Amino acid sequence: MTSPILSLTDATLSLEGNAGLVQILHGISLDVHRGETVGLVGPSGSGKSSLLMLMGGLERATSGKVMALDHDLSAMNEDQLARLRRDNFGIVFQSFHLIPTMTAIENVATPLELANQPDARKRAAQELEAVGLGARAGHYPSQLSGGEQQRVALARAAAPRPAIILADEPTGNLDSSTGAAIIDLLFNLRDRHDATLVLVTHDPELAARCDRVIALRDGRIEAPA
Amino acid sequence: MSLGVAAKLARRELRGGLRGFRIFLACVILGVAAIAAVGTIRESIKAGLVSQGAALLGGDAELELTYRFATRAERDWIDENALRSSEVADFRSLAVNPEGARELTQVKAVDGAYPLVGAVELLPEMPLEVALAGSDGLPGAVMHALLIQRLDLAIGDRFRLGTQEFRLMAELVGEPDQSRAGFGLGPRTIVATTALEKSGLLTPGSLFKTKYRLDLPDGTDLTAAEENAKVGLAGSGFRWLDARNGTPRVAQFVERLGAFLVLVGLSGLAVGGVGISSALRSYLAGKTRVIATLRTLGADQRTIFLTYFIQVGVLALVGIALGIALGVGVPIALAPIFADSLPVPAVFAPYPGPMAEAALYSTLSVLIFTLWPLARARDVRAAALFRDAVSGSSRWPGWPYLLATALLIAALLGAAILFSGNLRLTLWTAGGIAGALTALAAAAWLVQRAAHMIRPRLRRRPALSWALAAIGGPGTTAGPVMLSLGLGLSVLAAVGQIDGNLRRAIAADLPERAPSYFFVDMQKDQMPGFLERLENDPAVSRIDSAPMLRGIISRINDRPATEVAPGHWVVEGDRAISYADTLPARTRLTAGTWWGEDYTGTPQLSFAAEEAEEIGLELGDLITLNILGRDITAPITSFREVDFSTAGMGFVMLMNPSALAGAPHSFIATVYAGEAAEAAILNDINDRFPNVTAIRVRDAIAQVSELLAGLASATSWGASVTLLTGFLVLIGAAAADQRARTYEAAILKTLGATRGRILTSLVLRAAILGAAAGLVALGAGLAGGWAVSHFVMETSFAVIWPSAILIILGGALVTLLAGFGFALGPLTARPAQTLRARE
Repeated sequence: MTSPILSLTDATLSLEGNAGLVQILHGISLDVHRGETVGLVGPSGSGKSSLLMLMGGLERATSGKVMALDHDLSAMNEDQLARLRRDNFGIVFQSFHLIPTMTAIENVATPLELANQPDARKRAAQELEAVGLGARAGHYPSQLSGGEQQRVALARAAAPRPAIILADEPTGNLDSSTGAAIIDLLFNLRDRHDATLVLVTHDPELAARCDRVIALRDGRIEAPA
Repeated sequence: MSLGVAAKLARRELRGGLRGFRIFLACVILGVAAIAAVGTIRESIKAGLVSQGAALLGGDAELELTYRFATRAERDWIDENALRSSEVADFRSLAVNPEGARELTQVKAVDGAYPLVGAVELLPEMPLEVALAGSDGLPGAVMHALLIQRLDLAIGDRFRLGTQEFRLMAELVGEPDQSRAGFGLGPRTIVATTALEKSGLLTPGSLFKTKYRLDLPDGTDLTAAEENAKVGLAGSGFRWLDARNGTPRVAQFVERLGAFLVLVGLSGLAVGGVGISSALRSYLAGKTRVIATLRTLGADQRTIFLTYFIQVGVLALVGIALGIALGVGVPIALAPIFADSLPVPAVFAPYPGPMAEAALYSTLSVLIFTLWPLARARDVRAAALFRDAVSGSSRWPGWPYLLATALLIAALLGAAILFSGNLRLTLWTAGGIAGALTALAAAAWLVQRAAHMIRPRLRRRPALSWALAAIGGPGTTAGPVMLSLGLGLSVLAAVGQIDGNLRRAIAADLPERAPSYFFVDMQKDQMPGFLERLENDPAVSRIDSAPMLRGIISRINDRPATEVAPGHWVVEGDRAISYADTLPARTRLTAGTWWGEDYTGTPQLSFAAEEAEEIGLELGDLITLNILGRDITAPITSFREVDFSTAGMGFVMLMNPSALAGAPHSFIATVYAGEAAEAAILNDINDRFPNVTAIRVRDAIAQVSELLAGLASATSWGASVTLLTGFLVLIGAAAADQRARTYEAAILKTLGATRGRILTSLVLRAAILGAAAGLVALGAGLAGGWAVSHFVMETSFAVIWPSAILIILGGALVTLLAGFGFALGPLTARPAQTLRARE
């Protein structure tokens, strides 16, 4: 069997809070294999998003080991992590996190421009077309609805053709019909790029669409569902 | 109803502390403090001048005569009306040391009663009368240390004034009436008038002034005393000064400089206004959801407006109070340092005038700059809860707000005109500030548009592309950054250009065209010998000479001249007058006819054309001149072109010879010679004609340059307050922008951007805005410099490049520093935490 694309070994995460050090994740060990779709579920505060952030190198494990694409994330500096994400990750957030000063197409083109892709704008336009927003390319985020903003975020995540897609409650801020459309887009995107998808969600139906579901409680893996 | 609710809401919001209002407060405090400080120093000096009026004047009142001593009858009037009196003669002369070295000195010849008020301080300490009595058969003199040093003299050494030898008895440390001297061309020497009898210096026709200081009985009504003198000494042509206005020129200078600096301070308030406005905008943007919630709960527009107006009002009052405390407190605290460096006395204390002035200016400015953001807050709808704050409207506020803003600007201008007392200067300054602000706003818009248009074309330069996106995209701070930094830089650039051009005109261009020496006090019988010495000198390229008298224009068409042309320099004080039978060389008549050679009829006058036009004189107007106490009335029969800019010989008034030849007078000459020959000419002429005084033009120019340097430095200090305020506003804008940049950097890191690229983008953004602000400031500064040089100074204009380049570099550097400082946060923030905070 091939080595896992994402692998965590006894990973912990502690963060400084107002009341002192808070232990967010305790001894997490798990492997995610290439092409797999994994749903992370659990109640609020259980550490789902934090775990996703660890996988994307957006947060550093306090102890333990986090491997992605055979890279030890804890041994990499911020810029090395940034380059790794640029070339291999597509990340989608609940709050979209589009750059407010850039238009939709500029937002989508940004990761491609970072990778010095010569046809960044053209590819960005294609990705926007793919999510049905070709006509809104010149609009700023503030001029788009929540669903439209999330579609831009999906297009941006898809643009670099990532090996791994991390999605943090991508429908959390959307109504159910818009959310359903976004999920369809997300799974299409995964299929198109044959990417690995790790998805944080509260929605059991959505979780059910994944190959595997991991439940968290109080920062620990409760049991594979 | 809504006021009570608004007050309650405002109080609850202010309970949260001053967060978001720090830059607002800092801008108000700094703007108010600068104006209050200038006003306090100005009032302190004025109070000093009034309280020390008698000492500065040298008596309760003074009668000044030109080129003559008082007649017997005039002395009798003085003795009748004053308890005591003192006679002082003031003139320029050359002091010559035993080795023959010469230095120009301003001589004060005094009688035994001098000084009536205060005391002369000497080193070594001794009474003045003892010093002036001299020793070993020579009369004594005291000299300013600078002159002693220049002549390389020691106490006890001999030196010469005219043909009279003196012994230097002491160094002159302080004169009670020294600030009256104003702009003297040489350091002071004091001698006894009686010792000058054989010097040949105070002969009829020599250029000297006599001042009769009067000690009046206690309780004398000075206005009545002045009127009494006008009647009792009618026709004397005297100038009256008393303790009410003992130092009119110093007081006027302080008043004018103070007014100008307050106007420069207003530019600081304008920059502060930009900061106040953007701080309030950013504060209110953060409150959009609160306002929308209040609207959802039923608050009407008036309540919303009042809620935030009350908050702004309370904070502005706090800022104004602190600003006044700072502006008044700092000069008082630094009084000992100021007192030492000021050439005039000052009584440092809090004065209500400057406080009220600063409070009024700042209240109006705060209102002008907060009205629009408050009007926008009033328009926030409940629906804003569901929309992004960035999409806030940028349309104009309603007409009542536009009208109120226009009225407030008019009130601010009116106040500035009233306080400065100078309509033209105020309008020029206000026009300059408004012009620079408009140019900067237009440039900020252009930079934003350009950034917006160029950005899509930058495919392979992400850092530059992000920088341009931040400049040209929504929520940009390009406007406040460029306005705040640009206005301070504009004022500095204009001061640099004006100062540089003026100095160039005076220090560089003038000496090339100006004569080497002015020789004054030459007697008619000395002229042939004088001309013979110089005409045969190959180093001398040109000699101009003319008879010279001095007189005061007392009446124009039988009306007092000061009424006809109030404030014009030609009617203020005495003017040089000459006579000629033929039209002098290099002179052109612009109107009328010359009287012609050998004309001996009734007096006729030829007037300088430009000055005549300024006063409004026409051919045929009657001018009455008071020359040595005698009135001569003559019609203007011609106008001439006179160029005063070359420092050559130029007379505003020329008369026919028979009108003046009978009056005692001397001759004046200008000599144009190579610099190398100057010393030999001076020594030769002074050896042959000891009574003749030479004024070296280069020295005079150096003194004027020094005076200008002082003025430029005072103005630069005023401008630096503007720049400092601008820097504060810049920091405020950068701080307000910090959250947005940190968020942006977190997303970029998520997408794979390295810290180096993010830093490059932040620095590029700062550099582009700084360089653009610097460039516009340079343009505004050059335009301002050109306008002042062309219209006010009437000198030619050339760009002073070192100052110009320094301004652009300064602009870029300041924004770069702020850019670097504020890049640290976005660079070090963890993306996960930043993004989570936005969830």
